Amino acid sequence: MPTPVVLGALAVLLAGPVPWVLSRWTDLRRTPAAAMLLWQSTALAAVLAALGAGLSLVTERLWEDPAGPGDVLVAGLAGSVTVVVLARLLLSGHRTGTSLRRMRRLHRERVDLVAQVDGGVSVVEHDVPVAYCVPGMSGSRIVVSRSTLTRLSPAELGAVLEHERSHLRARHDLVLEAFTVLHRAFPRWVASRAAREEVEVLVEVLADRAAVRHVDRRAMLSALLALAGSSAPLGALGSAGSLAARAEVLRVGRPHPLQAALVALLAALLLAVPTVLVVLPWLTGLG
Amino acid sequence: MGELEQAVLEALWDLDGTDAGRPGVSGRAVHDRLQGRDGRDLAYTTVMTVLDRLARKDVVVRERDGRAFRYAPRLTRAAMTAELMHEALEGTRDDREQALVSFVGEASAEDLAALRRALDDLA
Repeated sequence: MPTPVVLGALAVLLAGPVPWVLSRWTDLRRTPAAAMLLWQSTALAAVLAALGAGLSLVTERLWEDPAGPGDVLVAGLAGSVTVVVLARLLLSGHRTGTSLRRMRRLHRERVDLVAQVDGGVSVVEHDVPVAYCVPGMSGSRIVVSRSTLTRLSPAELGAVLEHERSHLRARHDLVLEAFTVLHRAFPRWVASRAAREEVEVLVEVLADRAAVRHVDRRAMLSALLALAGSSAPLGALGSAGSLAARAEVLRVGRPHPLQAALVALLAALLLAVPTVLVVLPWLTGLG
Repeated sequence: MGELEQAVLEALWDLDGTDAGRPGVSGRAVHDRLQGRDGRDLAYTTVMTVLDRLARKDVVVRERDGRAFRYAPRLTRAAMTAELMHEALEGTRDDREQALVSFVGEASAEDLAALRRALDDLA
């Protein structure tokens, strides 16, 4: 089958049906690290397949000897679409990155002006219990309100802080940023919202997992309950169920090495198989 | 520098409105307020530099008063804190960008029930 068709079909599959299936495969959350790998390789493979489909169509038509006007027209169209896809991605990456960094800098500056720093944690005087981190290359912050400190036991607070530290250590913000970029570049014709939402759940599960290596699982659960139960429920939006997913992973706690290995293998295959079977023969054929 | 900025802003919060009902205070008043506190020996120019930095950060508003400037905090301490907390809570619902990563987002009744079940299980 011609290369552009295969890559095009692959791109469509990876952009729509595959994320749709993955977002419904909730057992994936039991192996969050491998699942994250799978999501990332799906997204990367989709982008590469889409770009590859356009480029291979261009070369297929122009490498014809002699290339007729029809060939040039098709090649031109395919080339433009490829450029548009790439440009949208780059533009979205630039916009998202710039605005996130700006929002974080402005937030961090004001936190530093009102917070009391205690043991590396910025404490803000406020009676709504909050705990969050401001990610950043050099100036990341973990922020909690006074009310969080008074509501949580020392063990619960330790769990919260460990969770936030793990977000910052693992640079989860970069993963979220990448999927945001993808979603803003192709908001409609790609199942990028499902991907982003699931990746959001996965980074929380990963941070919980990393934290309970140092703290008690029950402390983590009761901290979640204390902070989740106290914030005012805001309308009907809140049925995302990410907390329920985290509760379930914390409850079971058992590792699933077999599933993790298989999912990681799947992630690798997703990138390797199209490269070996389609892209390499095409590139060799050009030479 | 961060600590000094915090001290200067706190001085502004304390002093604002104390000058016969006029909004803001002079750089001189801020310097007088901070000088000697906590064993600090502050140059007047340092205070002015910090005030300008705070003005650039849009935390302090600067208004010309004859040949000098008067400085006032844009928000009260409580309002600024509230603004930050609002951003932190809003950030978890923002559908496009997540500048801040919260420990918990919104919780539904099922979420709370699932957490309670998990806790009971582990008890």
